[in-house]
Amino acid sequence: MPRRVVITACSAITPIGHTKEDIVNSLVHGISGVKPLREDDLLSRYIHSKVFGTVDYPIAYDFKRVYRKTMGPVAYYACQVAKEVFETAGLDSDFMTSGRLGVAFGSIHGSPTVQRGIYKTFFGGDRSEYAAIGAVDYLKSMVHTTAVNITKMFGITGRVISSSTACTTSSQSIGYGYEAVKYGMQDAMLCGGADEYDTTTVAVFDNLLACSTGFNETPHLTPRPFDVSRDGLVVGEGAGAVLLEEYEFARKRGAHILAEVIGFACNNNGGDLILPNLNGITQTIRLCLQDASLPANAVDLVSAHATATKMGDVIEAQAIHAVYKDSPQVIALKSYMGHTMATCGAIETILTLYMMAEGFIAPTLNLHEIDERCGMIRHVQKLVEQNIRIAAIQNFAFGGVNTSLIIKKFE
Amino acid sequence: MTRAEIEFEILRIFREEFEIDHPGMDDHLREKHNFDSIDAIELLVAIESFLGSELTHPEKKQAMDIRTIRHICDYVEALAKKRDVFTEG
Repeated sequence: MPRRVVITACSAITPIGHTKEDIVNSLVHGISGVKPLREDDLLSRYIHSKVFGTVDYPIAYDFKRVYRKTMGPVAYYACQVAKEVFETAGLDSDFMTSGRLGVAFGSIHGSPTVQRGIYKTFFGGDRSEYAAIGAVDYLKSMVHTTAVNITKMFGITGRVISSSTACTTSSQSIGYGYEAVKYGMQDAMLCGGADEYDTTTVAVFDNLLACSTGFNETPHLTPRPFDVSRDGLVVGEGAGAVLLEEYEFARKRGAHILAEVIGFACNNNGGDLILPNLNGITQTIRLCLQDASLPANAVDLVSAHATATKMGDVIEAQAIHAVYKDSPQVIALKSYMGHTMATCGAIETILTLYMMAEGFIAPTLNLHEIDERCGMIRHVQKLVEQNIRIAAIQNFAFGGVNTSLIIKKFE
Repeated sequence: MTRAEIEFEILRIFREEFEIDHPGMDDHLREKHNFDSIDAIELLVAIESFLGSELTHPEKKQAMDIRTIRHICDYVEALAKKRDVFTEG
């Protein structure tokens, strides 16, 4: 018998803030987290896009060496948001280590910073450094470093799901975590994603001519999802984590419930690994509504993936209209902070939770003139006070992976 | 190097690199201080730096029996003697 799954805590490190207060303030006042791309003595001088969704405030990490020694920058982000979620949630320590709590957490490719250090030693020919390449470098850099540094820090012995599907990484984390709790494999799951500052990621999109390059002198004016002047995506960094719990378990322990996860779908386009696919995206939206047992017109708000690429936004608008018509309001949260890669699904879910709690919908930033090819859906261009009951968060990734999540305000 | 210098350096490494202050010479490092295989590899790198020479693969394997600070100091003393850099005193 499927069980109900609720969200009982969340935390995010984003280019527009860390605390809920700071993030809500940025959304309400239209503050962008896109800043000039930091120099890195590596690729930044060659990259044409000189903007980045930057986490530019200090974070007071307080990790003992026993944990730090296996952590690269991406794991620091992951463990910090996990720590904040667990501090908020107040789960019993026996439960945390019981095997009934699992972790679904990922990143694009582990820690590129540490990987570069390994390759520098490998190719550098300095024999004396060779011995330094070893288990600890692999542990810091491996693809599942975020998930298992969390399990290590908190003694978690349940399932580990470490999705690494580029932009759908953390939305899959939440979705698969939801399914693990819904179908009884776990009673709670810590779900999310993280990605660190890395110019190799920017270079990938830059070389595909997919990055924004026309606003290098005015970073706050990009990205511009759905806008006629959009010129590509902006890469960003950050982390986001949510705690999912089985509803009765949460209710009995008196947990504060933020929302309920009522639907998830994930599919693949079965073809091109880069171009978004109208049929694939449309189908995943439909499957998610089916999973939630909802008609399309029950959804109040769609948080679109909307990376501000020329064709991606058009195809997504067509898909949203095909299923939802012009019923829900549609926003593009990447307009505030760029594309935070693996963590975008988790961060965009958390920002939606904040808007749900505070009763407003933030407008899509930099949406001054809607591209007429995206004009058939209901864009939000000004802050509105609105009670959001049901919201859908959708994300799509290289490799043709599509996800849709539906959350419902808990009342 | 003398035995006293070896002990001083090993305790410095433990204090600064491993954040383990004042370990007992005969403390079981794993049980008392959570010293694990990752730390052991990092310790060998630090010992190489101290000796100014690389450890051979068999020498590294010998280190796997180490359990205490005293064992580490005995191990480094043996390596120093082999490299003809140890002095009594």
